[in-house]
Amino acid sequence: MIYTFKFQDQIYRIDLQDGKATEVEIDGKKFPIAFQKIDERFYSILIDGVSIGAGILKKGKRIDVFLDGDLYEFESISEKERHSSSAVISGVQQIKSPMPSRVVKILKDIDEEVSEGEGVIVVEAMKMESELKSPINGKVKEIMVKEGSAVESGTVLIVISSE
Amino acid sequence: MFNKILIANRGEIAVRIIRACRELGVKTVAVYSDADRRSLHVAMADEAYHIGPPAPGESYLVISKIIDAAKRSRAEAIHPGYGFLSEKEAFATACEKEGIVFIGPSSEAIRLMGDKITARKIAQNAKVPLVPGSDGAVTDVEAFGVAKKIGFPVMIKASSGGGGKGMRLVRKQEEFESSLRMARSEASSAFGDDSVYVERFVEQPRHVEIQVIGDSHGNVLHLFERECSVQRRHQKVIEEAPSPAISEKTRKKMGQVAVRIAKAVSYRGAGTIEFIMDQKENFYFLEMNTRVQVEHPVTEMITGFDIVKWMIRIADGEKLPFKQKDISMKGHALECRVYAEDPEMNFLPSPGKLEYLRTPSGPGVRDDSSIYSGYEVTPFYDPMLSKLVVWADTREEAIKKMGSALSEYIVLGVRTNIGFLRRVMDNDEFIRGEIDTGFIERHPELLKANGSGIEHALIAAALVMRNSMREAETSKQAPVSNWRLYSRKLGVSGKSAI
Repeated sequence: MIYTFKFQDQIYRIDLQDGKATEVEIDGKKFPIAFQKIDERFYSILIDGVSIGAGILKKGKRIDVFLDGDLYEFESISEKERHSSSAVISGVQQIKSPMPSRVVKILKDIDEEVSEGEGVIVVEAMKMESELKSPINGKVKEIMVKEGSAVESGTVLIVISSE
Repeated sequence: MFNKILIANRGEIAVRIIRACRELGVKTVAVYSDADRRSLHVAMADEAYHIGPPAPGESYLVISKIIDAAKRSRAEAIHPGYGFLSEKEAFATACEKEGIVFIGPSSEAIRLMGDKITARKIAQNAKVPLVPGSDGAVTDVEAFGVAKKIGFPVMIKASSGGGGKGMRLVRKQEEFESSLRMARSEASSAFGDDSVYVERFVEQPRHVEIQVIGDSHGNVLHLFERECSVQRRHQKVIEEAPSPAISEKTRKKMGQVAVRIAKAVSYRGAGTIEFIMDQKENFYFLEMNTRVQVEHPVTEMITGFDIVKWMIRIADGEKLPFKQKDISMKGHALECRVYAEDPEMNFLPSPGKLEYLRTPSGPGVRDDSSIYSGYEVTPFYDPMLSKLVVWADTREEAIKKMGSALSEYIVLGVRTNIGFLRRVMDNDEFIRGEIDTGFIERHPELLKANGSGIEHALIAAALVMRNSMREAETSKQAPVSNWRLYSRKLGVSGKSAI
């Protein structure tokens, strides 16, 4: 069966086949795999004899895999979703608050031009100020917050449009 | 020895101090805010007292609340740890007034060293080299004048700063005004004081510091250096001892200079003299931290000297039984600060619940922490999860050991810098000891997973998906519990269940 995941805006497909043993197909070659739960969230995986220990947390569609120091945050998507999710509006980028914080300063006005990597807003959290930068060249389309306002994680602060 | 000590701190350092007290047979008193009822230091202490809401300004920073808890518990001494009240002169003074022993230097020494401008003067008098800069706090106009005179790049620093807050590096003249504004605003919100000073920026500087310890009988010793050059946002991330960059001659000189500064303020307890060092081993005095340092374990590992225990013994009046020549070092120690933060998002803190935790162990591995599976990393305090420390015979072996220990770590629920730390251990420049405070900026590739693990991670994710789908199917096929089936079977056969 094919499993599809999204990771950092890329789609990955992986084919697990169940015959006598479970096999995974990578680049047209099949490898036997074995899977063993060790404790609550710790798993031992053997891929053609190569042993991997991973921490795995599944929350609905989200699967976090912690492997060798790195956290991979996957989103499991069905084939149906995969075809419909391609309609991302290009050229419009939202700058979101990465965590609960306070808006210290808005550095740009509406309709002002910004270039990629340029700071547009300063937020403060845990006594530390950080400048959030524009990911694209464009114009400030919308400013959704005011200086001094407290914002939650994921709140859209500023919308930048490349048009 | 004291009968009971109050620990005016939280997190790993509170746990570290509790352990030292237990070894010394001293009872411990913890204090905690609303956010810390489930913290380990509360569970480990002999007594614990609530001191208010989560915000440090309403709990851990309120002198009267700490003193009240000490009086209620009849603690004879207070260990302040690092951060919070540890370097507040007013707190040491309050303890002195109440007849409670402050485990640290005199309030006078804290005052002298706490004001960076006074500290510079003391260093100057003790013939310690200083970085050229403004002689004290400056107005906006003066600041610009000084900057132009000493030449760019310059550093703007908060007068009452620390930990990199209110600090800005300015490379170009035209960036000066906005950086000055940011530094003042940060300084004002972090320390309630927006005064700043300006000094020359040393290119490719290394951060090297000397651990000192003094008793109340006039003895001051140094415990060699620590190198803390790998920093992000001017905060240390990886520390080691000894420094891979200094010669025996510089080490000796730096140690002597550090002892001279400490003696100038009749220093008592553990303290750290920080230096900035250029590529030719010229070093300049930065500041003195009048408290136990976060990275004290690396010094403990190479000297076998238990700094926290000695702080307590010294506060109790004990005399240091060693001379400088009795202190020696062996092997190499490294410390990595494991943070709940996202290296890919400019090291932004990542608070949340630790859904799972596995920590490394093995010979020469020490994990100083106060976390557990289910622990909630709150946005109120520093997001440090643990200090992973290793010791080995050589630096090369210590790096290998650290890499291996880091790969044993598993944290689910928050983002961490573990992958980043692990990649640093594989970096050739780091391995060669070619580090300076610009190391992380120079290596943005270390911030991001290099993709080598993605295939394995995908297989793991797919296997978990398959399992959970199978489990869902099985539960669909068997809506009736096996217990009910069993009893039905018994009913049909007419046998009694007992």
